[in-house]
Parts: sequence; C-alpha cells; structure tokens
Amino acid sequence: MENNENPEPALSAPDSFLRLKIREYAQKQRHNQRDQATDAFRFGLGQIRQEITELDNLKIKDVQGLAARIKRRKHATSENMYRLSHAFLQGNENINCFAAIPGASQVLVKELTGPNLERQIEAAECFCNYSLGEPHVAEKISTMAGSYLVTYLDSNELRLKRSCLWTLTNLIATCPKAGKTLLQMQLIPKLWKLYVSDYDELHTDAEISLNLLATTIDGISPEDCHYLSEHMMEKRPSDLHGEYYMFLLYQWEIECKTQKQAEYLIDFFLNQKEINYNNNWSIRYGIRLLANVFYKHPELIQNFSNFEQFANKLNQLFAKRDQELNFELLRMLRNLMELKLCNNNLWLNELKFYG
Amino acid sequence: MDTGNVLKKEQLIKLLEEMPSGYIKPTFPPSPQPPAYKKMGVLIDIAEIVDASFKPSKPSNNNYSTSKSYICSECKRILPTAHLLDLHITEQHDFYFAASVERGNRPMYSCYLEECTLKFTTVKERKDHCITEHKFPANYRFDQGKGKGKRKGKASTSDLSMDTDEIATACHTIKAFTFGHHNQRAFNTRPPKSNGKGLEDVQDIKEALDDIMD
Repeated sequence: MENNENPEPALSAPDSFLRLKIREYAQKQRHNQRDQATDAFRFGLGQIRQEITELDNLKIKDVQGLAARIKRRKHATSENMYRLSHAFLQGNENINCFAAIPGASQVLVKELTGPNLERQIEAAECFCNYSLGEPHVAEKISTMAGSYLVTYLDSNELRLKRSCLWTLTNLIATCPKAGKTLLQMQLIPKLWKLYVSDYDELHTDAEISLNLLATTIDGISPEDCHYLSEHMMEKRPSDLHGEYYMFLLYQWEIECKTQKQAEYLIDFFLNQKEINYNNNWSIRYGIRLLANVFYKHPELIQNFSNFEQFANKLNQLFAKRDQELNFELLRMLRNLMELKLCNNNLWLNELKFYG
Repeated sequence: MDTGNVLKKEQLIKLLEEMPSGYIKPTFPPSPQPPAYKKMGVLIDIAEIVDASFKPSKPSNNNYSTSKSYICSECKRILPTAHLLDLHITEQHDFYFAASVERGNRPMYSCYLEECTLKFTTVKERKDHCITEHKFPANYRFDQGKGKGKRKGKASTSDLSMDTDEIATACHTIKAFTFGHHNQRAFNTRPPKSNGKGLEDVQDIKEALDDIMD
C-alpha cells in the first residue's frame, strides 16, 4: 500500500544557509528599527529628581571626575556623556561646575563635530541639558558650539537635528546676547527652512524658536528680512503649526513685494486652520499684518476680488464680540476702505457688526 | 443668533470714519503676551541608559552613520551637510575650480553658510569673514583646509605642481631592511629630529632650488 502522507523534503544545505541569512537579516532589521525608534523624554531643570527616584544622584564631585576623565582621554565615551547629561539635568550647580572647568566643554564640541554620528547625537543631547544653565553658560555654548548646532539643523539625521534645535531654543530663551550671536550665524533662514519643511514634528519647535527670537531680540538683519520676504509663501495655510506665522511677519515687518505675496497673505488669513488659542495670536496679528499691507502697498491689492469670503470671515470674527478684536478689525477695514477698490457699499452691506 | 444689535451700513461707515488709519508698528499696544517658554532638557529612553551603564561604550553602527552622513566618494571625508560636501568636492577635487582659482579672475570660495551668498578670492578671506561676520570659532572644524593629510588622491594645485612633493614625503617613510635583526645596521634615512627644519613644504623646496640655481 502506498503511503499517502507526503514526507517533508529534507533541508538541503543552501536552504538552511538561506534561512540563517534571513534570520540574521531580520535580527539586524529589528535592531536598526529599535535604534531609530529611540524616543526622548523632556525634563526641566531639577525635574528629573522628582520623576525618577532610582536615578544616580550626581553631584559636583561626580561632574569634576567626569570632566577630568574626558579631558585626560581627550574624548568622551557614550557613558561619560550619558552621565554628564543626567548631571546637568539634576541642577544648576552641576552645570556651573562643568562650565568652570577649562577645556571640558571643548571635549564635548569635539564629540559633536566628530565622524561618529551616534556620538554626535549624544553630544548634542548633552549640550541640550547643558543649555539649561544660566546666561553665562548660554553665552559660552553659543560662542563655542553655536556654529555647529546651527549647521546641524541641515543634517539628515532627525534626532541630531531635533536635539540641536532644542539646544538653540534653550539658548535663545536664556540669554538675548546668545540669541544675537546665533542670529549672526544665519539662524533665522535655517529655522524657517525647518518651519516650512516636511518634518511635521519639527514645525512646533522651530516655531517656538522663531517666536522667542521675535519677542526677545529687537529687529533682525536686512539679509534675514530679505530671506523671509523671498520665502514667506512656503508656509502652507493648512499646516497644523502656523499660529505664529502672521505674528512673525508682522513683528519683523516683512513686506510684500509682489501682488502674489499680498494675495497669499489674504488667503492664509482666510484659510488658516481653526485656532484654539485663548489669545488668538494668529487672528489678531493677521489682522494687523493685512491692515499694514492695505495701507503700505495698495498697488498690490488692486485685483482683490474675493470680497464674499473676506466678509464671511470678518462676520465670524465680529460674532465673537471681543472688544479688542473688533477694534483691530475696524482699523483694518478703515485702511481697506481708503483703497476704494470698488464700491465700498457692496461689501459694507455684507458685514454684520454688532454694536 | 441675536441680530437686533447689528449696525446699519451708515452707522458702520460713521464708526469706520472715526477709526484711526495708517501703518501699525510692531510696538503698538496692546500686544498679547507670548506664552511663557519653559526650558527643557532631554533624556533618552531609560532602558538605553541602563544598557549604557553596563556597556563601556555603545558599539557604533557604521552603516547607520554612513547612511545619514554626507561622504566624499573621492577621499571618504564625512561632512555634516550637503552644502559643506558640495564645497569640499568643488574645492578639493575639481580641476576646473583649481584652474579658476589660479587664474584669480573672480572670487571662487563660497561662504560656509549656505544662506550667505558672498564669495571670496582666498580661503583666508573666507575664514576672516566667517569669524567676524558669522561669529564662527577660529578653529572651525568643518574647514575645508583641515584633514588634508588624510586625503587620498586629492587634486589640489600643490599636487599638480611638482613631483618632488611625493619624493620629499616618500623619503620619510623609507625603512631600512633588518632581516629579522632589530638592531639597525643601515644608514638612517630619516632627517635628524633636532634641527626640525626639513624642506617639507613644496614652496620651501622651490625656493631652495631657486637659491641653488642662482
């Protein structure tokens, strides 16, 4: 009688070799994905002590020891940088101690600019925590490592880019003088590129940095103004993070040069995502920005015809019955009325202003 | 919706005529206060920290490093951005660029910052510009002039100029054959270390040859 069961074919040598290779490949793939998925938690200065109890309590002596070690070996290992990162997070005294040791910060700069990408990332994260320090530390970092941190905003590696961005934001928030130094390193164009880039996760951070620059530092260079004017249309109104877009352009007095740009701003104002902010930054500054465009560049608005959508938007805003907002809106309407684009009665009839 | 309070067109026009018109400066009040920013540090995954404390150092993954960096295919130098790699390739491996620089008709060296459009006639001029205008450190680590010694097959003008350059450097690397006997019994071909004034530079050799010819 014939045996109906099909016997399993014996594994030949090439088969087992292939399986072994696939297993190795899968293992490597898992490892790579784990590396790339490394996430980062953010902590304020000293907050780590409350959040993580089992963490080593690193003190000034430990920082001195670590600094001596990295100086002696002229490079910092991953472990050294991890420990330094933690020490910086634990308190200002650790940061001040490290900053006072001559040559210690230079070792971190060396790691940041070295050939090994992982070390660069670790050094950038170390700098991020180092930047939690006082203004004199921020000045020191911006002078020594600012140019590299700004350069890495163009990097291919997201984690490195993000850590550098966080560090730069901390520096700007700490010390306006450090911010001014960074501005000379062409920080604004680099931040703007990130702000309008495809990296959605960096939009908010870039926007915060730009906002801090606009609020803490008086004025920017004509080159930066020119750059922003040329690239203002790269931000999409549909982007989630565009709350400060209008504010930035208004605050830095970025002017429209073409009719297309003026129409783009009106479009942005009309089509931006619904903002859930208490202070309505985007709307308030959008109104001011448009009022200035209407006043300063009437020649660019001559072909403006979208009165219906414009009136609808204004009616939505009037309906909020916010006194300050109404004042801004009426001031903008006054500038618009003076343009005498077409019969004012046409669009005034459409408006519903609550007295 | 309450429509009882909607102003009539004439009332609105009157209200608008009372409003100030003109340019609104950024300093014009009232300006809403920006939300307070809280400085934050970064802490990577706790598991990684525990791992790192057991390992003396993380093994570097070269494939990962190279896939995310900009590497010169000619000399394998790693640069952090596309712009710096572009500058490196142009300035170190482009014959046309070298010839243009030698001709000296126009400034050729671009600034290290991509957004800065200025160009300079010499590397020193560019360095001075970066230090004074952009506050770069004097020892900028992505300087194109640095790391020349490690480069293979570079095509700079100094390479093209003289064959003696290779001979001069080759002299330092000749070793005496010992055939298993470690005590050196051959002439020492290395220059004496004490004087430290060897003709290492091509320019020095040129000048020395000119002196001899004179």
